[in-house]
Amino acid sequence: MTFRRKLLLVFTLTVFVSVAGVAWLVQEMTRNAFEKTDSQRTAALLGQFQQEFKRRGEDVARRVENIANSDAVTRMATALNGTPADSAEYFDLARSMAESHQLDFVEILDWRGTIVSSAQWPAKFGYPETTFDSISGSSEQSAFLKLEELQDSTALGLFALRTVRVGEHPVYVIGGRRLDKNFLSALDLPPEMRVLLYQNRGDHFSPDLFLDPSAGNGVSDPAHPVEKFASLVDSVRQYNQEMTGIAHWSPDPADDEVFHAIPLRGVGKDHPLLGILLIGNSRRAYVALKRSIRNSALLVGGGGILLAILLSSWAAARVTRPVEQLALAAQEVAAGNWNARVEVTGDDEIGQLADSFNRMTTELLSQKERLIQSERVAAWRELARRLAHELKNPLFPLQLTVENLLRAREQSPEQFDEVFRESSRTLLGEIANLKAIIGRFSEFSKMPQPQWQKVQINDVVRGVAQLFQAQLQAPGRAAIDCRLELDEQLQPIAADPDLLHRALSNLVLNAMDAMPGGGTLTLRTRAGDGKVAIEVADTGSGLTREECERIFTPYYTSKQHGTGLGLAIVQSVVSDHGGRISVHSEPGKGTTFVIELPRNLESLPAAAQRNIELNAAKIPEMK
Amino acid sequence: MKRFAWQWLAISSLLVATLAARAETRPQYGSTLQVGLSAALTSLDPADGTQGDSFARRSVTSLIFDNLVNSDLSGRVQPSLAESWQAANGNRRWQFRIRRGVHFHDGTPLTAQSVAASLRFANPSWNVLAEGESVIFEFDTSESELPGELAMTRNAIVKRDQNGRLSGTGPFRIADWQPGKTLSLAADDNCWRGRAFLDSIQIAMGRSYRDQMTALELGKADLVEVAPEQAHRVSPERYQILHSPPMELLALQFAHEAASPEERTLRQALNLSVERGSIYSVLLQGTGTPTASILPTWMSGYGFVFSVDANLPKARQLRDQARVVQNWKLGYDSNDPLARLLAERIALNAKDAGLTLQPTPGGGDLRLVRIALASSDPRTALDAVFKRLDLPEAKLGSSADELYATEQAVLAGERVIPLVDLPATYASTPRLKDWAVRTNGSWDLANAWLESTKP
Repeated sequence: MTFRRKLLLVFTLTVFVSVAGVAWLVQEMTRNAFEKTDSQRTAALLGQFQQEFKRRGEDVARRVENIANSDAVTRMATALNGTPADSAEYFDLARSMAESHQLDFVEILDWRGTIVSSAQWPAKFGYPETTFDSISGSSEQSAFLKLEELQDSTALGLFALRTVRVGEHPVYVIGGRRLDKNFLSALDLPPEMRVLLYQNRGDHFSPDLFLDPSAGNGVSDPAHPVEKFASLVDSVRQYNQEMTGIAHWSPDPADDEVFHAIPLRGVGKDHPLLGILLIGNSRRAYVALKRSIRNSALLVGGGGILLAILLSSWAAARVTRPVEQLALAAQEVAAGNWNARVEVTGDDEIGQLADSFNRMTTELLSQKERLIQSERVAAWRELARRLAHELKNPLFPLQLTVENLLRAREQSPEQFDEVFRESSRTLLGEIANLKAIIGRFSEFSKMPQPQWQKVQINDVVRGVAQLFQAQLQAPGRAAIDCRLELDEQLQPIAADPDLLHRALSNLVLNAMDAMPGGGTLTLRTRAGDGKVAIEVADTGSGLTREECERIFTPYYTSKQHGTGLGLAIVQSVVSDHGGRISVHSEPGKGTTFVIELPRNLESLPAAAQRNIELNAAKIPEMK
Repeated sequence: MKRFAWQWLAISSLLVATLAARAETRPQYGSTLQVGLSAALTSLDPADGTQGDSFARRSVTSLIFDNLVNSDLSGRVQPSLAESWQAANGNRRWQFRIRRGVHFHDGTPLTAQSVAASLRFANPSWNVLAEGESVIFEFDTSESELPGELAMTRNAIVKRDQNGRLSGTGPFRIADWQPGKTLSLAADDNCWRGRAFLDSIQIAMGRSYRDQMTALELGKADLVEVAPEQAHRVSPERYQILHSPPMELLALQFAHEAASPEERTLRQALNLSVERGSIYSVLLQGTGTPTASILPTWMSGYGFVFSVDANLPKARQLRDQARVVQNWKLGYDSNDPLARLLAERIALNAKDAGLTLQPTPGGGDLRLVRIALASSDPRTALDAVFKRLDLPEAKLGSSADELYATEQAVLAGERVIPLVDLPATYASTPRLKDWAVRTNGSWDLANAWLESTKP
């Protein structure tokens, strides 16, 4: 992964995490704020509902008050306090009072709690009101809930009690409104609110005990089955306190409703749980807002991240471009282009680095030139020394021979012819030797360019082995065993087979020279990481460390006779192939030369084209 | 001279005033009487058995038709279309002499044949013959109460033509008839009793008691029925209120005989649980008479023997004796508000005794029934009640003791539980004069007239 991509990735991740974190934080804060607001609003709505409920109760109380203050009731109370107390003619009074004051329930009781007149159950006159003991102690100021027993059912109602005090014994007027669908429907609620009533009768939850104004003639709205309230109702019944629950009507959270269950208790010492009021508040608005916030957050976050990516790309490019340029320049330098320069922009660290790089490469270039120059000088000196050494050997005999000739002419003219003939042979031999020395030097100076082609190294090695097979077993010298350890899975490489053959031949010759007493010559090939390795190992006397370091220097030789150019030629061939040669040796343990060559097959077409161009230009080979 | 003139003026004024006063109390011909009825009669034929006997039916029938005889307050029969009668052969043969000069509304004369035909129609099992100007009844058994039966509404003399039109001999003839809704009657100028004072009577049927009272108060009705429990509310200063003797039995009737002694015991418990006193004093506002007998005391003379008091402990005791207590459905007339109240009250009383009674509109295991007693003759009335209640025929004696024994035996079967005897109560505008309520609960408007409101 490039530096730019890493930097881009880091920038992007940083921005993404930051934006996501901020978006989440904003969403959470907004959600909390909304929930808090929603709770407050719900509490306000509940308060409003309770106010409405209370208002209804006050309305009932007012109507009962009016009944209690009516002339008819006063007359009845007077009659009941008379002797004998005659209530028969007032048996129908409650019904007419209920009709005229629009109440569902009206009962008139005497001071003992006996029903004098009942609107909801007229036939019950003369019977005691079963809840008299509990309601007679209730406050006359406020309405209360009561379960009213009817002819064939029971009904929950909101009642009020008023006392008519005429004479010695009071008369009680109890009036109320039934808590039914009409009552619930008439409550003034906000549009998103609704209310249900569960009549707490029996020991177990029953859907039939629900009053749902939205259900029409049925018990419950089919879209909102009341069975879902079972757990909430049971919780209120168990703990006898307000509870809250959420009703999930569908997989869509917008259809959810939050229900607050309010226990409705009756009067009396144990305040029985008569009903449970469920006030539902739709979550549609909240869910819609939450979705809106989330969508906005996603939109903003996504936009932010996209923008961040773009900006990060630009920033990364700005930051990494000089670095990339530095890297490219370094690569060029590593590839040998010592003239690579980096544009210096700015005076920050990158600019300083670029400047330093430029100065470094300039210095390296000059040092390289100086090194080359000095190596060139050293090579010339070595060449001069070697040439002097090489030429000195044949020149000395030449000198002696000419001196012998002069001496013989002067001192022994009769032997001059004989001496002249012997001296001529010697002169010619030494001249031939000089010519051979000059030929090798010329050959080294005229190493040809490689002719690239696909080469199977094993074939080259086998060719070299076969070439020297006879010499290795030649009579008159100690036998040298030649082993081939070739990796048959080797892939072909791009190379010049002739140059490789020459190089390997030189190595084999050196190995032979290193084993005058015989030994083993091993030719080994193996595959590397995109490379091919050729090993030429002998079991000769080995080389010292100093010799290993200098062995590739041209004209350096450890042999008594030799131009020292063999390994230089090998190194030149290896270098032309882009490879590397190394030597491993210890005195007495033999020497192994390792040539590593890249496969470079991709360079083969270019190389082939270059060969074609060279051939077309007919550039003569240097001889 | 002056003094003489003033005297004459005084005397003449006094004379005029006296004449005026007499004119006011003298019956006036003319006017149309507006009447309200709660019953929605669908047939005017007295012999139509699809409609039960009721005060309303009797009232309407008596305006259009006559019987051979009528019953008075004491139950004695009086001549009507029959001038005289006699029994022979141990009351197995009766001969009634038909009054002469009587015509039906269609102008045809009343004959023995027409009388016989009418009575045969009403009583297919009777052997009724016309013989001269008499109608002969022949029975296989003694029918000592035949006159009393002939006074019953269903035995009114009716002429039925081929088209089903009815003609009677009563003071009013049918002018217009819309079954169940309205009935217009016009005075028959040739009525054998003399033309009625009223020109016509308009009867609106199917009106609730409340609507009738409202119409009376608004002046849109002259004569209305009054619900028993509302009778105390009708102001006697403003209206005339007339009652009949308690001629309507309010009772609980079981649909079937008790299936077992245990069930009979439970019925007895129910009987003992009912608070007739509360029903009478509160629900009926003191109208009627609590009763535990079929015939009212004023008719039978022995009704008081049957105790009307509730006995809740005894009722509970009887209830506890039963191993299985069934729940009963108590049916009542849903069109009668009083019936529903009564049913609910009785259910409450039964509940106190541990019995379960479920008031239900319509029919049930037992029903709250109102039975108009057919006659003031106790034997006739009792017999009619047995038939009305579909009780097994009982041999009815003629003496009080025999009747008592019969009644006691029937009541012991707990098929019927009498509750209250109710009168028929009517209220009229003060303008309506000379009208009466018969013993059988029907109006007597033959001599009624409406006082003019014009000065």
